[in-house]
Amino acid sequence: MRSKAFDIGFLFSCTGPYQLVSRAMLNGATLAAEQVNASALAVEVNPLVKNPDGNLGSYRGLASDMLQSGIKHVVGCYTSLSRKEVIPYFEKYDGLLWYPSHYEGFETSDNVIYTGATANQHLLPLIDYLLKNHGKRAFCIGSNYIWAWENNRILREEIVAQGGSVVGERYFAIGERDFARVIDAIMAARPDFIFLTLIGTSAYGFFRDFRAACLARGIDQAATMPIASCSLAEPELEEIGPQAVEGHLSSSVYFSSIDSPENRSFISAYEARFPDGPTVSADAEASYASVWLLALALAAAGEDGLAAVKAALGRQRFRAPQGEIRVDDLTWHSYLTPRIGRSNKHARFDLISEARQPAQPDPYLLRHAPRFEGALPPRLRVVS
Amino acid sequence: MTDLRLLQNFSGFRAFLVAPPAIAADTLGSTLNRIGVTMQTVDQAKWPGMCSTLNPDGNIIILDGDLNEAAGLPLSDIGRLPPAPVIGLLGVSAPSRLKALMRQGATSVLHKPVQGSAVFTALFIGINEFRRRRSFEALLNRQERRLRGRRAVIKAVVRLMREFQIDDDEAFERIRRESMASRMALEDICERLMAAPAEHDEAEPMLNRLAAGPV
Repeated sequence: MRSKAFDIGFLFSCTGPYQLVSRAMLNGATLAAEQVNASALAVEVNPLVKNPDGNLGSYRGLASDMLQSGIKHVVGCYTSLSRKEVIPYFEKYDGLLWYPSHYEGFETSDNVIYTGATANQHLLPLIDYLLKNHGKRAFCIGSNYIWAWENNRILREEIVAQGGSVVGERYFAIGERDFARVIDAIMAARPDFIFLTLIGTSAYGFFRDFRAACLARGIDQAATMPIASCSLAEPELEEIGPQAVEGHLSSSVYFSSIDSPENRSFISAYEARFPDGPTVSADAEASYASVWLLALALAAAGEDGLAAVKAALGRQRFRAPQGEIRVDDLTWHSYLTPRIGRSNKHARFDLISEARQPAQPDPYLLRHAPRFEGALPPRLRVVS
Repeated sequence: MTDLRLLQNFSGFRAFLVAPPAIAADTLGSTLNRIGVTMQTVDQAKWPGMCSTLNPDGNIIILDGDLNEAAGLPLSDIGRLPPAPVIGLLGVSAPSRLKALMRQGATSVLHKPVQGSAVFTALFIGINEFRRRRSFEALLNRQERRLRGRRAVIKAVVRLMREFQIDDDEAFERIRRESMASRMALEDICERLMAAPAEHDEAEPMLNRLAAGPV
């Protein structure tokens, strides 16, 4: 049977502050497109690749250009800032953004398919693990944007509800590298763990500086004040370097250390195709799965119209490297398997916790969050 | 005191859409569904009868601001609050339509055509602003009741001064302590005190305590 060909878009910032993750995402998407085109599937996808360079204005322009040229499906974006910047164009031109990154939730656009994890699939399992294994005093440090703000809000509510506290919360501009003062503040506060939502080069710098500061004080950082994150992936471990790579906690639906035939096959194909890296990661896997799901839905629909593709997508199952995934046709988020890993000296993660089955996405935390925000502090007054 | 914490999870809420039958409500209905809210379109003719059954802690009224006639929501006396949070659906941002929605107690609006990404925001702000106003209304109600009770307080202080030969500060202090011990509003204590003569069974134990003064 002749394959039907569709133009699709890839929108990844392969340069700029989070280029490392984005390059791995592009690799994952490219590998999937090549596999689709070589497969027996009655569909061919022709990707048009664009690089917005981490610049929000470029995201807008490139997304708009792609959609106006007739492309209906774009796989891309890493930060929530960039996703929110392009969604209006997808709504205007009736396109579908396949968003392959973990994010903070609280969004369900009819023009987005979310194939990365949302808060109930990464943050809540991590909080549960930290409270059970490390203690109730958190220090939060993040990049100054929605990913950090919202994750810290959820973490604070969960921890306070369980009798714990957030002993410090600091934000830095994306790309910031000077952490001397916040490291002093952490040393003074001595939290049970650090919850990290810094991204890109800021995160790598903090890992190195904090480990060095702890070593200088004779502190076993990984054992006494571990750094926990919902975005730390293998390419970033390599970037952190050997002095500070070991002992960090990450919550993710994918680690390259998952032992399954699908994952072994994925890694072997990825490494053969991209010998110069970046190393495979959760966002690369989500990008890979996004393209496969898109191709399966296009093949089932026989066209690239949104209504037909979304109707077909609800029926698809894909045996991804992380295990079977599918997209929930109410929220258009994906069923994914939560896992927690601890980084080792080889810049990989050892799995220390794994859900038994894929978790239903709950982007608004309807089944997880209390009806009201955390308790307000009592307002006492002298009455006698 | 009414809980002023922000409501953030709307799961289980029910929204009543008061709008012309032909309104395109697909995006609104499906987005509400994703955030745990069921939506029911209401015939405007049957609407007044339904108003009395609304639950302010579980219902939302989504009111089309382009209706020719006001929805006729019953508003409370002091705060002019509707029976449940009102979110206006706005097609035309003309002063007449905005005023009509304000007068029906709308605390948030959604523009037509409804964009899915705007719905959670509209609910979050609309419902929490309604709750804040309801809390202020409850506070005002309490203050008004206390204001009305001032006359009883003055009379009770005078009575204690006369019966126990104490000054006004001491009389007020004894009433305040009795109010705290019995967990009743000070004004209610005074009204009870003034309503019952000295030999009345109900007032006697209270008077005995007041006669004893501070322990």
